[in-house]
Amino acid sequence: MAGDEPAPDVGTARTAGTGFERIDWTAVDDADSTVPPAAVAAEALVFFSLVAAFVYDYVILANEAPTVGVVGWDVTGVEWLLVVVLAIGVFHAALPLARNRRLTAYYWRQFQKNRAAVVSLGFLGFVFLVGLVGPLIWTAPNEAIDYAAAYQPPVFAGGSWAYALGTDAQGRPLWHLIVYGMRVSLEVGLISMVFAISIGTVVGTAAAYFGGYVDEVLMRYVDLQQTFPVFILLLLLIYLYGASLLLIIALYGLFSWEGTARLVRSEALQRGEEAYVRAAEAAGAGRWWTIRRHLIPNVSSTVITAATLSIPVFILGEASLSFLGFGDPDVFSWGRTISAGRSDLPNAPWISTIPGLFLFLTVLAFNFVGDALRDAIDPR
Amino acid sequence: MKWYVVRRVAWAVVATYLAVSLTFGLLMVTPNAGADVAAAQAAASGQDYDAVRERYLERRGLDRPVEEQYIDYITNILTFDWGYSFSQGEPVLAAIGDAWVYSAQYFVPAIIISALLGYGIGLYSALNRYTPTDYLGSFVAYFGISIPNFWFAIVLILLFGVVLRLLPTFYDSSVALLSVQNVKQLLMPVVVLSTASVAGQMRYSRAQAIEYARSAFVKTARAKGASEWRVLTRHILRVALVPLSTILIADVLAVLFAGSFIIETIFQIPGLGRLALEAIQQKDTPLVLATTLIPVFIAIIGNLLQDLAYVALDPRIDYGDR
Repeated sequence: MAGDEPAPDVGTARTAGTGFERIDWTAVDDADSTVPPAAVAAEALVFFSLVAAFVYDYVILANEAPTVGVVGWDVTGVEWLLVVVLAIGVFHAALPLARNRRLTAYYWRQFQKNRAAVVSLGFLGFVFLVGLVGPLIWTAPNEAIDYAAAYQPPVFAGGSWAYALGTDAQGRPLWHLIVYGMRVSLEVGLISMVFAISIGTVVGTAAAYFGGYVDEVLMRYVDLQQTFPVFILLLLLIYLYGASLLLIIALYGLFSWEGTARLVRSEALQRGEEAYVRAAEAAGAGRWWTIRRHLIPNVSSTVITAATLSIPVFILGEASLSFLGFGDPDVFSWGRTISAGRSDLPNAPWISTIPGLFLFLTVLAFNFVGDALRDAIDPR
Repeated sequence: MKWYVVRRVAWAVVATYLAVSLTFGLLMVTPNAGADVAAAQAAASGQDYDAVRERYLERRGLDRPVEEQYIDYITNILTFDWGYSFSQGEPVLAAIGDAWVYSAQYFVPAIIISALLGYGIGLYSALNRYTPTDYLGSFVAYFGISIPNFWFAIVLILLFGVVLRLLPTFYDSSVALLSVQNVKQLLMPVVVLSTASVAGQMRYSRAQAIEYARSAFVKTARAKGASEWRVLTRHILRVALVPLSTILIADVLAVLFAGSFIIETIFQIPGLGRLALEAIQQKDTPLVLATTLIPVFIAIIGNLLQDLAYVALDPRIDYGDR
């Protein structure tokens, strides 16, 4: 496989030069890793317009009015966050991958060695797409209530194709409930992950690099947060403030980064001792430069793996809360559907089991992909 | 080393104090749910809403200055005067005393089974990598960490309770403690609860053992003619136990706490998890607090014991570092 690869292209500045002294190192640096100004400008523009749209939605539009009037879509707080997270994903995951074709192709070859992970990635792509656009195609479960069609079995249990996965006690098609559940899982998993991983990475690298009192204070806090079981804290806060999806997502994001922080700290401590960091410091690099240019990129494989493996934890956590009846009463989480179907277990087992199967497969797929990513991008 | 132990114990005390203060702070910044319930009930029977609310707060001393309440609160917690639970009709500690037996009945077997099975399978597959048993082990591990335990419980009930009619679908607290019937009704809760933690411990112990299986001291032991069993128990397990105890305390406790709420709800076991849920549903603040603080205290003590176990198990640990 490696034989038909083109020779590695180390950067145009280097191949064009004839001697060592003619290399323009600024150009090499720029070509290798800094983001082109156009991308920075585009990102700034996107985030600026998002903030503007958000302000417009919350300050100028009345509370009840839909944000996008034509389709009657009233964007909720959680959906705003999801859009922001997707924009972050485009600029900080998809674009760099597309720019570094050679590296991407290499990672992909490594990743492909794990066939279960490739299948899982396909399934996650399906869940992502359906969760994102599905709610625009299929009607909301509450608008599809039809008592005449209650307890329709799924197709494979003798039902009709009109309700391929069957219906629940109120005649809502199970497929609609599952699609809206995908959206909820998507929001919980991605938004909480971005919160938790960002905080954890910043805290971990800061603790490792500054050491001394900064390290002591940050890690003591991490100890404390690790001691307080996050599920119990969530129950207590939901008891005090009432359940909403935004609260659940925010709490998972703000109170479950301690594992990442610890991991990044120990990783950064190891990286910090390595020759290239010492060389950068000796050449006069400042602290922030060293952290941003040398430490964070070198702990990123740990961070990406931790990020992928944290998503299923958040999805499962939210589903468990909803199952216990502490979820947001306005959204159709899978946990809520599973819980509602419990009383019909003997006569309509599909209501609980089919959404549960989707939840199980989603979590399983994330775990497969996370482990394959670790093997593909973590050289150790 | 003495200094290390002292520091750890001191930290446990500080953490306890901070956790208790945190709950107090949360209670202070939120409107009193119990007072609202009482006032709403009074308003329904024709009394003045605000007046009843005031009286409710006054009777419980909640109209006093914050610092006075705070000192009172801390003292009460420390002297085990945890208040009266109106939803259970008895003091909070008595309610907990009644409930913990039911939780322990499935909790303790689940911890023992998951530790034995998890470490056993993990170590075995580390020493027999890429064999069918190893693959079976990692399949079980993926299954265990991915399956939502509430869904797993429902599927088991459907299969063994509804279709096959082998096991009871819910827990009956009138059954004698030491009877076949009791074992049968605890079977599914124990299986569900241990599945998740078996998987975590298995993955972790496998990774740890693989790391040590290649180390110089293990090769030396083998070269000197130590049997596989001796290498495993005396050399690999001894060093691997240190990081393994970390996951046993931190992650497993978290899995078990969250799991106990779900399992007790599904199987209708009148244990601590259900007590906490009922307290939340009925806005019974003293009981909510107690059921929040107990897991926190257990976690703090667990972490302390684990830190002290580190010292005993691995003499290489530098006490100056964490």
